[in-house]
Amino acid sequence: MNFDLEFAISTAPLILSAFFTTIWVTVVSSIGAALLGFTWEILRRLNRPLRSLMRFVIDAIRSTPLLVQIYFLYFVLPYYGVTLPALVVGVFALSIYYSGYLAEVFKAGIDAIDSGQFEAAKALGIGRADTIFLVILPQMLRNIAAPMGNYFISLLKATPYLAVIAVPEMFGSALDIASETFRYAEPVLVAGLIFLALAVAIAQAVKGLEQRLLASSKR
Amino acid sequence: MSLLEIIAGIFEGFRVTATVTALGLLYAIPFAFVAGVLQHFLPGVRRVLVTTVIEFWRSSPVIVLLFVFYYSLPAFGVRMSAMTVASLVLGLNIGGYGSQAVRAALQALPHGQVEAGLALGLQRWTILLLIELPQALRSMVPTFMNQLIQLIKGTALVSLITLTDMTYRAKELAQVEYNPVGIYSGLLIAYLIICYPVTVLGRSIEQRASYAESKHREF
Repeated sequence: MNFDLEFAISTAPLILSAFFTTIWVTVVSSIGAALLGFTWEILRRLNRPLRSLMRFVIDAIRSTPLLVQIYFLYFVLPYYGVTLPALVVGVFALSIYYSGYLAEVFKAGIDAIDSGQFEAAKALGIGRADTIFLVILPQMLRNIAAPMGNYFISLLKATPYLAVIAVPEMFGSALDIASETFRYAEPVLVAGLIFLALAVAIAQAVKGLEQRLLASSKR
Repeated sequence: MSLLEIIAGIFEGFRVTATVTALGLLYAIPFAFVAGVLQHFLPGVRRVLVTTVIEFWRSSPVIVLLFVFYYSLPAFGVRMSAMTVASLVLGLNIGGYGSQAVRAALQALPHGQVEAGLALGLQRWTILLLIELPQALRSMVPTFMNQLIQLIKGTALVSLITLTDMTYRAKELAQVEYNPVGIYSGLLIAYLIICYPVTVLGRSIEQRASYAESKHREF
């Protein structure tokens, strides 16, 4: 079977029409992963038994493939009567998978905060919740902007996994075209090129952002 | 089927999972060192060329690359077995990430190491092999451990290009009997058995490297 350039070009608009699904999934899952990850990290620091438990939970999330986590949620939830749209299952899976990594990023971000901050908060009689959200969180976010951004990009690159449960993001649309026309070569390659272009664009944007951050920190 | 029988059935695919991992490492390790060292040393245009190759393997989603190599390349007359595609794509993707660890570790070495070598009259490549790389290796190890886990987890994807790995076996079992809870829990446990020890080992190596644990704070 030869490569049909005309057919390949004709698939591009169809695949690109799912572009916003890819972006939407990425943004919602990133927020979900950050919230979950921060929750894991706060729980890990509450007391000793929780520390061991959460460490296991985080390591377990990081020790199983995303593909398997997606299958697990997709096939096991309906067994207990929870039927969710594939898109929602996909967002849950991505949020859970990346929460494990973000928890580690948050840990490093909190460890990097000067211990005087904790002592000062205690000395001023600031409560535990206020210390976490008003003293620690803002300083942590400044410490971890770069690694957190990397994981969001990595999450974007993981969205094509959702094609296996028929979520209509870009790669899923490409596979739809493939199964309708029995031609895999063209739509798959077009999807690959689109993702490559997206990755290059993001890399450029991140480079620009880093330079701006560097410039502003020198001021 | 009991959970034990399910896990035993899933582990029938262990050979393929292990083979893809091992062959993937055969691509990943040389690529990481060669690309990382070249990126560190080459000047100008040739450096841009190496960077482009690395970025291609790093920034494309690995699931899309697998499909492109397996389904699209044959249309251009490039035919590879599923095993070759799997180990090549997964290996070079991981190797791309590894190369950045190699480059970063080389750049982080104090420059006096190289100058001392030059002052002693050593050849540049002798300095690289006998002075720089052995020292840089220490700071690379934590990243390499993480990449090893990523590689093992990534092998779950090969079930999508017809290889009969652990994930593929689980899907086969799922067709024999309706027991999603048992089968997909079994699959999660199977990967946990393989990856969790590596995760814990990697964490302890990382901690020894950074003494991060001494800074752990409870709220």
